[in-house]
Amino acid sequence: CNDLDLAPTNKFTEANYWSSPEKANMVLNMAYSQMYNSGYFFSTEALSDNIYEGRGSSSEKIISSGQADASNNRFANEWRDCYGGIKTCHTFLENVDRVEGMDEDLKARMNAEARFIRAYLYFRLTTWYGDVPLFETDITLDESKEIARTSHEEVLAFVRNELDAVAAVLPTNEEYGEEDAGRITAGAAVALKARTYLYSNDWQNVVNTCEELINSDQYGSYSLFPSYEGIFLPENEYNDEVILDLGYVPSLRTWGEYFDYAPLSVGARVNQMAPTQELVDDYLMMNGRTIDDANSGYDENDPYVRRDPRLTATVVYHEFPWRLPDGTIQTIYIKPGTAPDESAEVDEYKGQGTNSTSTGYYMRKYYDPQSLAAFTSGLNLILIRYADVLLMYAEAKNELNQMDENVWNSTIKALRERAGFSDASALNFDASLSQADLRETIRRERRIELALEGLRIFDIRRWETAETVLDGNPHGAQYGDPSIDNGYIRLDVRSFNPERDYLWAVPQSQKDLNPNLGQNPGY
Amino acid sequence: KESYSQVTRLSVELKNTDVKSVLEEIENQSEFHFFYSGDVIDTERKVSVSFRNTDIEKILTEIFYNTGVEYKIVGRQVALYKGEFDESNLPAVQQQGVTGTVTGADGLPIPGVTVFVKGTTQGTVTDIDGNFQVSNVGPDAVLSFSFVGMLSQEVVVGNQSNISVVLEEDAIGIEEVVVIGYGTMQKKNLIGSVDQVNSDLIENRPVANAVQALQGASANLVIQQRSMNPNDNSMNINIRGVSTMNNNNPLVVIDGMITEMGSLSNLNPADIENVSVLKDAGSAAIYGSRSSNGVILVTTKKGSKSDKPIVRVSTMTGFQDPDVLFSPVKGYENALLKNQALINVGSSPKYTPAEIRDFQQNGDGQWFLDGILQSALQQNYNASISGGNETSTYMVSAGYYNQESNFVGSFGIERYNFRTNLVSQYGKLKLSALMAFNRTMQKAPNASTGFLIVDGSRIPPYYTYQMKADNGKYLINDVLSQFNPLGQLEAGGFQKKDDDNFLGSLNAELDVAKGLKAKAMVGLDLGANHRFIRALEVPFYSSPTAEKPNSYANQTRNTEDYNEKRYILNTQFLLDYNRSFNEDHNVSGLIGVSNESYTRQANEIKMRYTDPDLGLPQSETEIDPSSYNTPAQTQERSIYSIFGRAGYNYKDKYYGEFSFRYDGSSKFAEDYRWGFFPSFTGGWRMSEESFMDNYKSNIGDLKLRGSYGVLGNQNVDDYSYFTTYTVYNNSYGFNNEAVSGTGFDFGNSMLQWEQSANFNIGADATFFDYKLSVSLDYFNKLTSQILLTPVVPSVFGGAVAKENAGEMRNQGWEATINYHAKTGSVDHNVRLNLADAKNEVVDFGGNEQIDSNDQLRKLIREGEALGSYFGYKTDGYFGSYQEIENSALPIGATVEPGDVKYVDKNNDGVIDDKDRQVLGNAFPRYTFGLNYDVTWKGFDFGVLIQGVGKRDMFLRGELVEPFHANYSYVMYQHQLDFWTPVNPEAEWPRLSAPGSSSNQNNWGRASDIYIFNAAYVRLKNIQLGYTLPKELTAKAGVQKLRLSVNAQNLFTLSNVSFIDPESTEFGSNMGGTGGTGANSGRNYPTLKYYGFGLELEF
Repeated sequence: CNDLDLAPTNKFTEANYWSSPEKANMVLNMAYSQMYNSGYFFSTEALSDNIYEGRGSSSEKIISSGQADASNNRFANEWRDCYGGIKTCHTFLENVDRVEGMDEDLKARMNAEARFIRAYLYFRLTTWYGDVPLFETDITLDESKEIARTSHEEVLAFVRNELDAVAAVLPTNEEYGEEDAGRITAGAAVALKARTYLYSNDWQNVVNTCEELINSDQYGSYSLFPSYEGIFLPENEYNDEVILDLGYVPSLRTWGEYFDYAPLSVGARVNQMAPTQELVDDYLMMNGRTIDDANSGYDENDPYVRRDPRLTATVVYHEFPWRLPDGTIQTIYIKPGTAPDESAEVDEYKGQGTNSTSTGYYMRKYYDPQSLAAFTSGLNLILIRYADVLLMYAEAKNELNQMDENVWNSTIKALRERAGFSDASALNFDASLSQADLRETIRRERRIELALEGLRIFDIRRWETAETVLDGNPHGAQYGDPSIDNGYIRLDVRSFNPERDYLWAVPQSQKDLNPNLGQNPGY
Repeated sequence: KESYSQVTRLSVELKNTDVKSVLEEIENQSEFHFFYSGDVIDTERKVSVSFRNTDIEKILTEIFYNTGVEYKIVGRQVALYKGEFDESNLPAVQQQGVTGTVTGADGLPIPGVTVFVKGTTQGTVTDIDGNFQVSNVGPDAVLSFSFVGMLSQEVVVGNQSNISVVLEEDAIGIEEVVVIGYGTMQKKNLIGSVDQVNSDLIENRPVANAVQALQGASANLVIQQRSMNPNDNSMNINIRGVSTMNNNNPLVVIDGMITEMGSLSNLNPADIENVSVLKDAGSAAIYGSRSSNGVILVTTKKGSKSDKPIVRVSTMTGFQDPDVLFSPVKGYENALLKNQALINVGSSPKYTPAEIRDFQQNGDGQWFLDGILQSALQQNYNASISGGNETSTYMVSAGYYNQESNFVGSFGIERYNFRTNLVSQYGKLKLSALMAFNRTMQKAPNASTGFLIVDGSRIPPYYTYQMKADNGKYLINDVLSQFNPLGQLEAGGFQKKDDDNFLGSLNAELDVAKGLKAKAMVGLDLGANHRFIRALEVPFYSSPTAEKPNSYANQTRNTEDYNEKRYILNTQFLLDYNRSFNEDHNVSGLIGVSNESYTRQANEIKMRYTDPDLGLPQSETEIDPSSYNTPAQTQERSIYSIFGRAGYNYKDKYYGEFSFRYDGSSKFAEDYRWGFFPSFTGGWRMSEESFMDNYKSNIGDLKLRGSYGVLGNQNVDDYSYFTTYTVYNNSYGFNNEAVSGTGFDFGNSMLQWEQSANFNIGADATFFDYKLSVSLDYFNKLTSQILLTPVVPSVFGGAVAKENAGEMRNQGWEATINYHAKTGSVDHNVRLNLADAKNEVVDFGGNEQIDSNDQLRKLIREGEALGSYFGYKTDGYFGSYQEIENSALPIGATVEPGDVKYVDKNNDGVIDDKDRQVLGNAFPRYTFGLNYDVTWKGFDFGVLIQGVGKRDMFLRGELVEPFHANYSYVMYQHQLDFWTPVNPEAEWPRLSAPGSSSNQNNWGRASDIYIFNAAYVRLKNIQLGYTLPKELTAKAGVQKLRLSVNAQNLFTLSNVSFIDPESTEFGSNMGGTGGTGANSGRNYPTLKYYGFGLELEF
């Protein structure tokens, strides 16, 4: 007969958990995994004008079509997931002292890592929802039912203070040992702080903060990786451009979203979402001109030649040379009726509501050539990279009307050179451009450089251009009815209500449980 | 004691007849026999007599008045004499031997009938041929014949030396013995709410397992067969509805041993003697902490004391046809409809007129779903031998069941059952050894049923689509671009399971004193399960001539083994007292102790990229990180119990009973571990009262009964009272090395049992000379202390520990009506049960919870039934732009005439969350089962009809929404009645392409457009049999030879034409407090069975 006092064999209990630094560290690891995830990383891009979701009716699709109400699942899940991660951070912070004999320096560093993750999560929350409940120690169930929202500004102040505090404690990327690659660094804290200022259009602070990374090695040493395509290849993980990334490990901790993004002929299942024509159109010609520039040399019938090389690293277009894992090149045929054989035909555009692309494009960036079956990948997803710091800096400098050749050369030119531009007209600073012209250039540069990295939606929100670019019909390639929109595939209409959609709704279920939360306007 | 001459009444009316004839008439009318000498007695004398209901003495006195003739009656012999009585005038009263045969109404011999000489201890049992022999009985002796389920009969031996007795079936079953917790009880004395299902309802039905056989068999025993897949026979079992948000499964007890639901499915249905369903507190409280959902007691067959072994062999073989209830429109029609859907929302049509003409001219190809389903063979063989003598009985049986899968490829299930039930009486000690072994072997496709069905059904029947080329290549196409189900089935590998189960017990029963028995039992339920998965890589090509595959199924080529060992050890000791005093005071008592220990251990190893031929590891093989060893999957639990019952009845008229159980469970912390569960039951057989004599003789029996008790439910996860830290491997990565992360779950050391206060009142009545019997019950259960994970704001950051917080009420009624009538040689038997149960969440901490899954919204709200459907009410379809302008619309919606209009519940001019309301509930109400059997001569005919009177069914996906979310490419016949300007009264809204605002409006919301009426009536089983006359078969040594034909699920009446109304997304607890998947209608099809059976008995 079994005894009545039985303890689980597959779990620890309060009695035997907080007994070693390794076990404490595992709670911290859990917090890392809750910082962000691949699902949000990619689906967030579908909220922007870079990507169109051709299948299904996901929460993101409903948001982007302007039909989201306060019960939208993404609203509920993002809220839940952020506070779930915050709970883990608090659990770590409030129990780590129970571990006896722990090295104080290690403990200080781990505390700082946990505080960074908490700050990152609060920043995610306040960016989406504006005012959110803010608390610095674990709360009780009763408190959670009564807590009110703290203003966006106070949350941001808390986040920035925390980032300042942890930046002083955390090691830099160079100080960490190799085995700690991927841990949160002082540089990450500074870069995230720069982003918090960027999203507030607080230009001077963006400049000041970015300069801490650009002009000094105090918070680590970062530089652009020589190859744009290479930044996102598994062999170059943890390169000098990466400031903060999500750690994945081949076959052990993986993500597989590309199974629904890549061309079908190279093994994808279906096409869930695809780049828009509007994104493709924003890529410059090699001469640095936009395609609508009469002198750009752009040919609508051969639209993908002499374009910014980053297009090829980001978007799959008709006759794209796809490099297979074995190194051979396979041409992707998307234009209807062009495929040489039936196995290539699966990628062709076949209209709306089909398994292939809905826009005439496929996604390319973050395709992992080393991925296993079903695109199971262990490739890290980069949350902040040095190019972003340069772009923030350039944008802020321009907004402060301080853009000059020096700033240009260290930012936009550096990025374009790295991207593979060689024409002087594309590289050199054009002093004749107005601040507004430069703003357009920098914003375009930012869109192109960071396309499909999940950041576009935040930019068009802070620029308040979302109400323009997320309203009306997005388009696909010129494979549609020639009588409509000049033959560019007209996709389902989107709408963006500036009175409401710049903030997400407090999830209805949360408001029901805690009336003190209130609601954002329009919901 | 009254003698024969005193009780026998005679009626003789003869005019002017001689005395001899009068005496002969008396002899004819009775068993009297006259002895006299014709020389002495004048028998020619003419007399006139007129007697009505007169005893013999009076008649004789009158006939021989004044003739000097005297008489003497000895037993049935009457001596007539004159003068002094001479003993020698009478033949000696002899001790004689009697032989005879006992048969049933059908003329077949009944073995094992107890025959004893009344007032003595002398007796025997009939042998295999129904024969018996009793020696040394006098003519006065009365032989009593009794057999369970038959009306007892008494026969006076008289001068017969050979007695044939026909036993009638006991229609009312008043002498029937019903199995109750830790004992049995005569049905007439039963005061709990117990329903017993006997083997005749279970045998001879081509069911996959015992649970299927119980569907429709008992009132408020609600069984929902969620899938007919032989490899995944998932069924919901509820007794009396839903009483808790946690586990609602009844407790299963097999031959006195507490086991698991799975063990019930492992039984051979042919081995079951009867199944008792304990429904109320009075009958279930003796099972204490686990009885609040009711108890199912199964008793297996034992041997009987017949000299000759009885051998039975039977088979049932048949075909199961998949009955797919939906079908696609023609290919060219589909292309037209798809274009219409696109044009309706302003998009370009997909198909050109040339393509559509091409589809029409070339006709359709095979619809993929038809290409992956087939008729399947089902076979069932059983053999048993049973018998016994005065001291021992045995029953040995073997069964083999084989059901092929209806998916193409070779899949299915085989089950082997063996059982030996031995009972030995050794003086005052009775020992029983009941042992059953079962092996179930399954081979299932290595692809989920849902995916196979959906990949087969979401595709139009275009002639251009083909699953397999003539050269054997599996093909994909523009809509099935990853793989096709035929390739998955034929070449994608398999999941094999071989599960061994042993269920056995050793019982000892000792007669300690008069009426007092001591019983001990050790039982073991042991399961050793193994699952082996081979995923084989299948290449798929875009054309028969393509060189290079476009995609693969099972690219990771997994080889996986899962091993589980699980056992329940049950030890119990009890004292049972049962005695009558002065015939009027019947006292019973029972006290026992028991322990039940459960241990389960499992491990699983999964390998990826194994060798394609052998599945062995090779150089590129990886261990899948979700593999685990034994400590990761070890569960132990234990319950110690003290239980008892005390009952008293006076003259079988007034009944009172108290029972209890005191349980200590490892699921709870030390201070909250023990729970006490009492119940009280009272009964009154009104018809036994003298003032009811008239009622009793004219109408029948009437009994009232009631019970109240508190039952428990401890069916919650093990170790819930601990705060636990779970280590998850590969949670994150640093430097490309995976690291573990720890999650935590809070525990609550104050957790304890759920308690269910259970009130029951019922009546049993018989009418028309026991032909009709009716039982009625009403119950009301209030379950409190329901273990809940409280609804927690997300801000808290995770789940808090469970609490004993919730409260639910569940009430309902049951009616069981049995009718048995015999007209001539036709014997009818009708059994009807009808029931309802309705629950309501009483306390949910003042909160409500909405779980969502796709368009499904499931609500927990105080005052509503658990898991009610929630969402928007639709108000038809917009008829005009004007109507749209004047109506409330969802946020951001742009709609057209023909789109769905929603009810603006709060009249605020906008359709939003606040307009949602309760839309129905999926738990079956007004459930019923009707069983009709009729026999005529050798023929027998039976039907079983089963159904649900009220149920709401949520159904989403392509069967409802045309071109569902761009995942479906086809429309079905049942979707054609859609809105158009000329068809405004349509069933469905206008066609709109997925992604459009109209589509989002019509199909993107939780609304009653997805809710269907799932009431149904199903002809579950129909059977016609013929038993060959025994005279014919006996020559070949065959006692019984029965042939039968049988069909199952022949037809169903339902409001939903395109899906089995029984399909549901909910398990037996309505999803509990967690979420539940939405029903997408991708079920294994309903199966229709046609087959024949053969039964032989030697």
